[in-house]
Amino acid sequence: MIRKLALSALVITSSLFASSEVNVYSHRHYDTDKKLFKMFEEKTGIKVNVVKAKASALIKRIESEGKKSPADVLITVDAGRLYQAKEKDILQSINSEYLNTNIPANFRDTDNKWFALTKRSRVAVYKIGSGIESKLSTYEDLAKPKFKGQIMVRSSNNIYNQSLMAAMIAHHGKEYALNWAKGVVANMAKAPKGNDRYQVKAVANGIGQIAIANTYYIGKMVNNKDASQREAVKKIKILFPKFENGGTHINVSGAGVAKYSPNKENAIKFIEFMASKEAQKLFAEGNYEYPVLKGVKSSELVSSWGKFKDDNISINTLGQNNKAAVIIFDKAGWK
Amino acid sequence: MGNSENWEHLKETLLFEYIFNSLYIMIGVAILTSIIGFTTAYLTSLYTFSFSRFFHYALILPFAIPTYIMAFIYGGMFDITGTVTTFILDILDMNINEVVFFDIMSIEGAIIIMSLVLYPYVYLICKTYLSFESASVIEASKTFNLSSWKILRKVILPISRPAIVAGVTLAVMEAVSDFGVMDYFGVSTFVTGIFRTWLGMGSIEDASKLASILMTFLFILIVLEKIQRRNKVYKSSGKDFRPIEKIKLKGFQNILATATCFIPFFLGFLLPFIQLCFWFIQSYDDIIDEDFMTLLYQTISLGFGSALLITSLAFLFVYNVRINKDSSSSVLTQIVKLGYSVPGAVVAVGILSFFSILDTYVVDFISSTFILSGTIIAIIFGYCVRFLAIAINNFEAGFSRIPTSYDDAAFIFKIGDIKTFLKIYLPLLKNSAFAAFIVIFIEVIKELPLTMILRPFNYDTLAVRALELTQQGQVIESSVPSMFIILIGMISVILLAKNMNKV
Repeated sequence: MIRKLALSALVITSSLFASSEVNVYSHRHYDTDKKLFKMFEEKTGIKVNVVKAKASALIKRIESEGKKSPADVLITVDAGRLYQAKEKDILQSINSEYLNTNIPANFRDTDNKWFALTKRSRVAVYKIGSGIESKLSTYEDLAKPKFKGQIMVRSSNNIYNQSLMAAMIAHHGKEYALNWAKGVVANMAKAPKGNDRYQVKAVANGIGQIAIANTYYIGKMVNNKDASQREAVKKIKILFPKFENGGTHINVSGAGVAKYSPNKENAIKFIEFMASKEAQKLFAEGNYEYPVLKGVKSSELVSSWGKFKDDNISINTLGQNNKAAVIIFDKAGWK
Repeated sequence: MGNSENWEHLKETLLFEYIFNSLYIMIGVAILTSIIGFTTAYLTSLYTFSFSRFFHYALILPFAIPTYIMAFIYGGMFDITGTVTTFILDILDMNINEVVFFDIMSIEGAIIIMSLVLYPYVYLICKTYLSFESASVIEASKTFNLSSWKILRKVILPISRPAIVAGVTLAVMEAVSDFGVMDYFGVSTFVTGIFRTWLGMGSIEDASKLASILMTFLFILIVLEKIQRRNKVYKSSGKDFRPIEKIKLKGFQNILATATCFIPFFLGFLLPFIQLCFWFIQSYDDIIDEDFMTLLYQTISLGFGSALLITSLAFLFVYNVRINKDSSSSVLTQIVKLGYSVPGAVVAVGILSFFSILDTYVVDFISSTFILSGTIIAIIFGYCVRFLAIAINNFEAGFSRIPTSYDDAAFIFKIGDIKTFLKIYLPLLKNSAFAAFIVIFIEVIKELPLTMILRPFNYDTLAVRALELTQQGQVIESSVPSMFIILIGMISVILLAKNMNKV
């Protein structure tokens, strides 16, 4: 114990005097990221300091800290919060040739204030043998009366649902979106509760026919210590719905450099590293996300689920429509 | 204009549901915790029966389990796809749609889970109170030849009312400020509403409006508690601190008493603990490493330091009220208590703004970097705001047992304040102080939202780690940090119970 103490004291003091560091505020709470930070440290000698919390709390923290904020990089798990951070003017434009050439234009901010690192798609999950795949092909379909009592989806407190609704508004306008939400509520098998994995487990156990979930959760269920999760995913299949005039809804996890970043150089290096081939591979293999870097493949498991076309709604639009989405959820009675 | 629009929208849609659900939870938790807490305290303080000495300790243990972990465990066992549910359905060879099924992931389920973890508040306060107060009263009532039942109904229940209410107030405040359980179970309350309005609609103003309605509710609750405490008929005579002669129960009564104590212990601790043990064995290898030891050390030192500070501060508050006897210090103390009802994340956001102002305008002269924001000081300050109420409640109960005649005597004999303190109060308050310290230590170790938002770089605690793992879907692995939280809690609880024995 004493050795541990001495060691941690040493680490603390050495980090205090380390001249080269980067301070990261991250909403990503995955162990994959921990590995990535270590890789970055070993490669560059730049120490990575991390605070993890919900993006909205981190944004508030950077806002309150103002000019003296130690934050260099902000990482979020959805587009809505990146947009919010940009709106609150806590990010700065950066000029990185690597990022500009390697990250597709629709995956970075028009002012270069943030860059997507990974994609996740929001999909429908159904039980093998239920025949859902022949009845359902679009998000709009989910509101059709033929799915009465069949849909399992989590609460609209959740940002992934809010972004999906934001996309619906962008495609069809608020009035259509409200009617759509009412239709989905009427089709729910259970009142919204639990997380995405809960919905998948329910469908696997014959409660409801269609679960709405993010893809990477399903990847995590396949290789899980929890037998009930492993068993559940054996019974289900994934279907990529699309919008009638678009593609499959995707959300992104991304990063930007804080406006008053004290270590700007390191911050840019850090984001470039997160978009590098080796980092992108780890996102794909370790966390079952879709890499944004051209030329890096998704993991074998994720590829086996099939291909899809990204929706054409810009990521900023998702953020802009977030509040309208929440209001529609309230009106439709989507808990 | 935009804001009042939001507010209109809230009134039209969800406000009624927030109010209804929050009240439902408050009433539900109040009823359940007072029944469980008082019955078990009554039985273990006045009687001996099989395993009664064991229950003396064991009944506090559920307190060591964080509510969100309890929700995950219970969900994992009893929800629509839970292990226990599917097991029973397999035996019956039936489908879930064919049976009458109580869904634990509901508002009633949340009330049950909250009550199972929070009843120890009532148990602890009632027990301390009964052990102190009841001996002489009970003996007096016996001379009137009253039956035990009558003594319970006519004497013990009325004199215990302040203790029950004090415990229930804490339980209700904690339940109504919870976010984790309610969000997971899909229950809309003021607190989930605050976050939805703040994060989803981007309106901090309307979120604060919701928060202030909630605080008004709770302020009324605190005032009511104060009033009923003042009205209590029975006041400590102060002459008689003898322990109670416990009565030995036999036969059917013995079995009944044992069963009554076993049920809350089983549901609140043993069952979830067994589940955790299974998970722990499967996963400790992967989780315990050097980083884990660091966060274990950080958690314990943070808990110890904060508990020490908060206990001392609470003492000053209550002592000040006692000495000065003026209403302003009393009102101040009651306001400080409100902090416990404010959700951790809301406290955290308040502190962010407050500290950044301090840092920008005051500390600026001294240092070019932040010395408050993003440091341990910010977290500990947050804990003070949240948890002072618990310690204050403990000390208020403690002081109420010291007759004011002691103060007068000290005054007459011209004993100075410091001497009064050292010679009279300190020895009599040792137990309250110790109890407050332990309870806060456990609370800090379990605390989540505030710690996450305010922590410095590279600073993890057991609770944060447990949450991260569950969010990654690694529920089994999350048992490892959870188990350590519970083990630390258990050790503390045993120390606490030992201390209560000395009464």
